[in-house]
Amino acid sequence: MSKAILSVLGRDRPGIVAAVSRALCEQSCNIENVSQTMLQNEFAGIFIVSMPNGMGAGELHRGLEARLLPLALTVLTKPCEAGEEACTAKACEPFVITTRGPDRKGLVADISEVIARHGVNITRLQAVFKGGEDPGDNIMIYEVDVPKSVDAQALAADLRDRAAALRLDLIFQHRNIFEALHRI
Amino acid sequence: MLTQREIISTLEMLRNEHLDVRTVTLGVNLLDCAGGGLPQVQRRVAERLLGLAGNLVPVCERIGQKYGIPVVNKRIAVSPLAVVGAALAPAELVELARTLDAVAREVHVDFIGGFTALVEKGLARGDRALIEAIPEALTVTERVCASVNVASTRAGINMDAVLSMGRTVKRAAELTAERDGVACTKLCVFANIPEDIPFMAGAYLGIGEADAVINVGVSGPGVVRKAIDRALQADPAMDLGHLSELIKKTSYRVTRVGELIGREVAENLGIRFGVVDLSLAPTPNVGDSVGEIFQSLGLRAIGVPGTTAALALLNDAVKKGGAFASSRVGGLSGAFIPVSEDVNISAAAAAGHLCLEKLEAITSVCSVGLDMVAIPGDTSAETIAAIIADEMAIGVTNNKTTAARLIPVPGKQAGEHAVFGGLMGQSTIIPVNNGAGENAFIRRGGLIPAPIHSLRN
Repeated sequence: MSKAILSVLGRDRPGIVAAVSRALCEQSCNIENVSQTMLQNEFAGIFIVSMPNGMGAGELHRGLEARLLPLALTVLTKPCEAGEEACTAKACEPFVITTRGPDRKGLVADISEVIARHGVNITRLQAVFKGGEDPGDNIMIYEVDVPKSVDAQALAADLRDRAAALRLDLIFQHRNIFEALHRI
Repeated sequence: MLTQREIISTLEMLRNEHLDVRTVTLGVNLLDCAGGGLPQVQRRVAERLLGLAGNLVPVCERIGQKYGIPVVNKRIAVSPLAVVGAALAPAELVELARTLDAVAREVHVDFIGGFTALVEKGLARGDRALIEAIPEALTVTERVCASVNVASTRAGINMDAVLSMGRTVKRAAELTAERDGVACTKLCVFANIPEDIPFMAGAYLGIGEADAVINVGVSGPGVVRKAIDRALQADPAMDLGHLSELIKKTSYRVTRVGELIGREVAENLGIRFGVVDLSLAPTPNVGDSVGEIFQSLGLRAIGVPGTTAALALLNDAVKKGGAFASSRVGGLSGAFIPVSEDVNISAAAAAGHLCLEKLEAITSVCSVGLDMVAIPGDTSAETIAAIIADEMAIGVTNNKTTAARLIPVPGKQAGEHAVFGGLMGQSTIIPVNNGAGENAFIRRGGLIPAPIHSLRN
């Protein structure tokens, strides 16, 4: 049984998940994973589904488009290939990088470039830029997996240097501190 | 998945509320360093400490960076030197204190505690020598801290030792007269001293402890105060029961940080993790004050009527939250009201809101005692001993730890200012009311017997 990954975009309103999941059900696909989020008023959902024998990603895509385009939802579909996980828990340490500071173009590009240069994978990124000079209104939160072979302190030092050049206040912390502070 | 709120509130605690680990203290057992002459003891002590503590500061720095939480102080506590150096003369014990000071400097810890005697039931030869050595030892060293336990609920109060400590405090102040009696800031007199205090000046490693242990002192007065302020801003009518619950939850968070970092430091050093001390420890920094918490709770200043009740509420909540957060709680786990070390408390003393009698009163609920209290330099040794005796009586009768860290500032009177520098801070000198004149009671000596409720078996 092969799998497909699809993303669905559109203006948020009640009924989007219901429409997508109904369309998948009608094509005999089984949802294995789903993650959805909202940014401002826009809906974005990512689905990994298993398809019935003989069905390909192209056929699934055509079927979904026929049902979802009339609802003003954009669909992207591609085959999902099994691969090795980017970083297993044993081989990586989870860290959180947070920046606060005035908004300007290129902040995400600059910070993520440093993270990539050290071979570190971003597992989750939240960023809010309301503009203006108030640091609290402009925040980036990167959750990253740092391989044990990577020098975390060297990464932190490089990040702090780049942040200083961008007038950002950057903190690099192991994820466990957040768990310890906020969760039982 | 972490939420944005969890991450931002953590950053707020770090950036604006002084969240940190106040101290990681390495306890080192020196009992097997005893024996032979002074040079042998000095060599064995130095080797043991350098071997175990060499990596303490770098490891604390590294773990602190990993979590983004500073470990403010790194310290060492050793076995009571009155036992380790029982065969030594007072002058030799001063030399041993110099050895501790040199080691502390070499491994970059800011204090080393354990120039200690346990004399609640009687004074042995080594205890007498150590107490005699204390004034000079604290004068010629910078980082050595001394403590003497003169009372316990099981033994009563050793009034001979109390009088002796009154004289010792006085002498220590005189020897450092040009620095406002700073030697006394490193000397605590205790009742029911715990064996695992990470905070100075009372830290030493108990006789019943292992070869080495890591104890942690958490912090967090700024975090508690901001939590109260935020809650009252959202709901100005919030009652004390709900505020207690809020403090409990905040204490839980602060304690978890201490435990996480302490355990990891211990693991990295290959040393057993000991306890988390839940005391809220202030510093002279604005926003890191225990005194400010009282104002947030609605009191005009610490010391005004209502202070004792507020402190009882505060520390009960701190203990309940902390006890749930940590599997190993110990040390003092009480309220520190160190007058000179807390800018707000110092101001309350200067304004006349906080007096010696009120400080003594709050010891009865959960304060650890008269901590960093500057008193007039002409206060007699007998009066100092009598103040110590009163504090000890509260500890012995209430089955709790109490302590006195008094500084009779040479040449200065009540209302004048004393400056001790650094973490020790500065303070207005508090008057000692009714302290003049003879005190025959304190000279009688002997043992005030243990209270009846000490017979618990």
